[in-house]
Amino acid sequence: MDRQKISKADLGRWLDTIAGKYELIGPTEDEDIIQFGPVQSSAELTLDYANSLIPPKSLFFPPVESLFAFRKRGKEIQLEETKPLQQDRVIFGIRNCDVGSLSLLDRVFCDDLEDSYYRERRERTTLIALACPTPPRSSCFCTTFGIDPLSPAGSDILLTDVGDVYLVDAVTDKGEKLVALGEDLFVSLTEGEEKELQPPPVDMPQLDVGGLRERLETLWEDEYWDKLSLPCLGCGICTYVCPTCHCFDISDVGSTADGVRYRCWDSCMYNDFALMVSGVNPRPSKRERTRNRYFHKFSTFPSRYGTGYACVGCARCLVHCPGGVEITEVIKDISAKEGVSDR
Amino acid sequence: MEDKLQELVVELLGDGAMEYFIGYRQGFEPSHVVPCFVTDQSEADRLIWGPLCLQNLSKYVLQARDLDGKVGLLVKGCDARAIVELVKQHQIERDRVVVVGVPCEGQVDPRKLEQVLGVPMEQVIDVEDAGDEFLVTVGSEVRKIGKEQVLRDKCFFCKHPASFDYDYTLGEVQPFTIDGDSEEYDAVEKLEGLPLEERRAFWQKQFERCIRCNACREVCYGCYCKECIFDRTAPRWLDRPPLLRENEMYHLIRAVHLAGRCIDCGECERVCPVNIPLGRLYKKLQKDIAELFDYEAGMEYDTVPPLVDFELDDQDPFL
Repeated sequence: MDRQKISKADLGRWLDTIAGKYELIGPTEDEDIIQFGPVQSSAELTLDYANSLIPPKSLFFPPVESLFAFRKRGKEIQLEETKPLQQDRVIFGIRNCDVGSLSLLDRVFCDDLEDSYYRERRERTTLIALACPTPPRSSCFCTTFGIDPLSPAGSDILLTDVGDVYLVDAVTDKGEKLVALGEDLFVSLTEGEEKELQPPPVDMPQLDVGGLRERLETLWEDEYWDKLSLPCLGCGICTYVCPTCHCFDISDVGSTADGVRYRCWDSCMYNDFALMVSGVNPRPSKRERTRNRYFHKFSTFPSRYGTGYACVGCARCLVHCPGGVEITEVIKDISAKEGVSDR
Repeated sequence: MEDKLQELVVELLGDGAMEYFIGYRQGFEPSHVVPCFVTDQSEADRLIWGPLCLQNLSKYVLQARDLDGKVGLLVKGCDARAIVELVKQHQIERDRVVVVGVPCEGQVDPRKLEQVLGVPMEQVIDVEDAGDEFLVTVGSEVRKIGKEQVLRDKCFFCKHPASFDYDYTLGEVQPFTIDGDSEEYDAVEKLEGLPLEERRAFWQKQFERCIRCNACREVCYGCYCKECIFDRTAPRWLDRPPLLRENEMYHLIRAVHLAGRCIDCGECERVCPVNIPLGRLYKKLQKDIAELFDYEAGMEYDTVPPLVDFELDDQDPFL
């Protein structure tokens, strides 16, 4: 579909129409926190945000979800399946770093081992991405990993703020279906507007990640990890705010006769993450755990799935790590030919 | 003061008086201050000091216990209380830590500053202490902000920074005073005044969004158990999924475990990524401990936290 536009005044009407037919999810603010959550009407949404604290991966791979309930009656065992979704959904306002992370998570959950819960949520969700505000936050570095904050790639519709109107790029059938719901709210661009209505270019620092993986793979035993991990507190913030982290734990809550099997997020930064029943822990200290985190992002994941790096430059870990372990510094340190050990 | 700090650290590292020093450095942006581990004299010039050096670095002393030598540490008066507690709870030996005290004139609460300025912290280039106010640089503009508008809550009640036996100080360490318009336990008393159901609803709304990242536990000087009750699998005291009822128990158990040991450094609330006002919970404990036992944590080496203390001839037979 050709590029169209919608006036800012009409955006709410369109979203409200969508909310009548789908579950509408978008950025909301509560207790000073931006998060993606379901809304009844567009009035509950905020447009004044850089990005959410918890990435929208949580809408596909929730922090906690019931997989099924079980009940034992005598010798009979009853299982009650959990439905991942009650109705089709539309996520409005997702940023392109997070769209990029979904394509990485798709490889984990939908490749050879398919996760039906994740897959159903992905298939029944339409993504309306919102191009990033200009200038972006000073911490952002998505372009380092080849993500274009102004591209519709990976989403169904991209909206770009160009003043009084949003440019609308509906790039999939799902996206076009949503635009059709708006009927006359959408207007095709004139030739003049095609040239005139352009978003300002996004300027952000770009890190050199050429050869990062090869360089990293020579550093397994390097002293660098001892020093890097000193300020790490061993909490799970970096992994829980990361849009590409996807480790989980499964546990039964209740009794053996009546309970629920839950899946919830887990973090490789936790001491007990790799702990085995025997009592052996292959990652016994923060050194091994910190090293594992960066190896997974820049070596293990790309080699396992044949993708690019498993980081989308959203900078959430950079901003929220209470110990000040900074992924941008790690990238620079690793990429530097010399001086890796003397940070 | 930074020069003095850097010189001291260079000297102490050179003498072999300590293996490394823990202070503060600037992080990825000017307003973002993070811990700095100085292992070599050449790195001492990264050390900074100012009103955004928020973190209580005392927790890091615990991981230095395995070192052959000592560890050096920069502490604000409020944070020094953690060292006292760690010594008397037999976690460290006092003479294994080189404690450098810094005269502190109050620390900035970034969330308050953002509200007063109306811009995010990423636009703040510098915050300088200037007596009753902070000089805050945003872009090319320097704004004067009265301290009372943006100080961390705990700084209004700075009481005992001078009572600690510092090994070195960067100037005279004395209590910082400022007139605030609230009393220390105002926020606690407001909650105490609510009917039980409303109080419960308040906390449930907070705990509901807990993601159980454990940051409050990991940053707390007092959480040093080799195996935390929350990590135990047999028996499992707490279920792993972050369901409201589990989150509630997580926070209440942690609070009770810290009763009488919490030094009110405020780190749990500061690091919480979902802004749970944990300070209020721990302030309540502090208030109760003061009222019930006339005790304040982190003051003297020779008093024992009331809930850790016991007497063989206690009148309660269950002991």
